[in-house]
Amino acid sequence: MAEPAREAVTEPETIRVESARFGVYEVPADRVLTLPDGLVGLPDARRFALLEPTSPGAPFRFMICIDQPDLGFVVCDPEAFLPGYRARLPKSAGATRDDTAVLTLVTVPANPREMTANLMAPLVIECGSRAGRQFVCDAADLSTRHPLFSPASPQAPQPSE
Amino acid sequence: MLILTRKLGEVIRIGDQVAVRVLEIRGNQVRLGVEAPTEVRIYREEIYRAIRRENEDAVITERGRIDEATAIWQSQREKP
Repeated sequence: MAEPAREAVTEPETIRVESARFGVYEVPADRVLTLPDGLVGLPDARRFALLEPTSPGAPFRFMICIDQPDLGFVVCDPEAFLPGYRARLPKSAGATRDDTAVLTLVTVPANPREMTANLMAPLVIECGSRAGRQFVCDAADLSTRHPLFSPASPQAPQPSE
Repeated sequence: MLILTRKLGEVIRIGDQVAVRVLEIRGNQVRLGVEAPTEVRIYREEIYRAIRRENEDAVITERGRIDEATAIWQSQREKP
């Protein structure tokens, strides 16, 4: 079947996300993650724009929901904090396959030093299709609130604001 | 709420694709076997609630939160 004629040079398609809360983002279409079932408890949050790491080499990324643009999350590469984490997930997660990526949602409380990662329910994403799901590890000894940083020692006072 | 009484080994069907069988009754514990297509997510209630709550708590309200997270990560990394 004949394909419609295309221009020789095609600009990468971008998705525009306009959020009253976070501003406007232009994201290449191939950086869009799809979670067909949404997140647990947020079933309508299905398409997300995964932004670049916050600084080169940093494990954190901002993930904004295209369907509900005021819904934003911090996600991290769990292996940056817990090497071997992927291998601890049940086989049924499919997380150790080469063509999958694993991200965990990060909760940032009032004191960001106490931020935690949800190791019990990671996002497992197939790299080719960029589709995935929030995999829930029932029965595994994985926390929904795994601290990412050791508590600051009392001898080392924090710089004042 | 629909309330049904079942004996050991009996089944409840939910739609065409989901079957829940009473496998064992011991004291105040009941073992259930659930047959469902793989795309149907099955969670114990307390796990479902914990994950849902954590997802809700993970929603950020300011973009600056991620910069704070990154700054802490960088400062921890620079420690000897």
